[in-house]
Amino acid sequence: MISLSADRSDIAAGARAMLPWLAGIVPFGLVIGVSAAQADVPTLAGWLTGPLIYAGSSQLATIGMLDGGAAPAVVVASALIINIRLIFYSATMASYWRGTPRWWRLTAAYLIVDPSVAVGLDGYRRLGRDRGHAHYLGGAVVLWVSWLAAIAAGAMVGASLPGWLHLEFVIPLYLVGQAIAKLANPAQRRAILAAATVALLALSVPLQLGVALAIAAGVTAGLTAKVRR
Amino acid sequence: MSAWIVIMTAGLGSYLFRLSMIVLISRITMPPDLERASGLVAPAAFAALAAAGVAAACSGLGITGAAAPLAAVAAAVIAVLRTGSPQAAILVGMPALWVATALLPS
Repeated sequence: MISLSADRSDIAAGARAMLPWLAGIVPFGLVIGVSAAQADVPTLAGWLTGPLIYAGSSQLATIGMLDGGAAPAVVVASALIINIRLIFYSATMASYWRGTPRWWRLTAAYLIVDPSVAVGLDGYRRLGRDRGHAHYLGGAVVLWVSWLAAIAAGAMVGASLPGWLHLEFVIPLYLVGQAIAKLANPAQRRAILAAATVALLALSVPLQLGVALAIAAGVTAGLTAKVRR
Repeated sequence: MSAWIVIMTAGLGSYLFRLSMIVLISRITMPPDLERASGLVAPAAFAALAAAGVAAACSGLGITGAAAPLAAVAAAVIAVLRTGSPQAAILVGMPALWVATALLPS
């Protein structure tokens, strides 16, 4: 059942659970806004990558490749390759959303991205399936609003930020933090080490296929660890 | 194809990715291996994007130029390992980057 009106405390809890993520997400959004403002594409089109693509790495790649004059088909293919992980996230959330109304699945699916899945899964594990829906929605909506606001702010004022801040380095640091924090789990540790190694070895692979290869290698390595245990 | 169409096409494709398994799995049972794999995608993706991102930040800087970002990553890793908080990577890593950039030769 979806009964959000009765679950305001769970919505608020989901929103609160998203707040720590915003420390990493908002600077990322600012960087994308700056990229959109400086790229040779209409600023509004760059901002629209937020509500339309709604996945930071893919948005950065799209804006950067359009700015660099890449062929449209290559830009679309690259954006989708980077977003292949969304299929796995979709699979992860599907078990919790089985039997829910169509409007919920269409809306909740649109909000799927790394932090919303992480906060959502935590809610489903702690609160159960029914209350978890409200928890997921609270976190996902806060993320969506913050993300679009950060990109807009970056597009408007980000270009004037001093270069010595090196805001572009926030993204790798954010990802390093997320990966290192998951090393305690043996299967995830194996997945992380394999994915990082393959990503470094495949840096010269075109179309950012190296990242997709690295994710596949990491998942395979993690599954091996599971089987051997 | 204009930038607008490229962005809308990439957006539509991304939405279909998000919806794909939610639609399919209501009709099929998910294999156990795929269930396990889905739990490993996020850490693998974070690690792959992190490694590629750090490498991109260091590319073209030379050994001395790359010292500052690498020092920041090292500080971030130590901070996360000591605190258990992923947010510590940014809170410690960015100041470490600013200090290292000011102190180390570029």
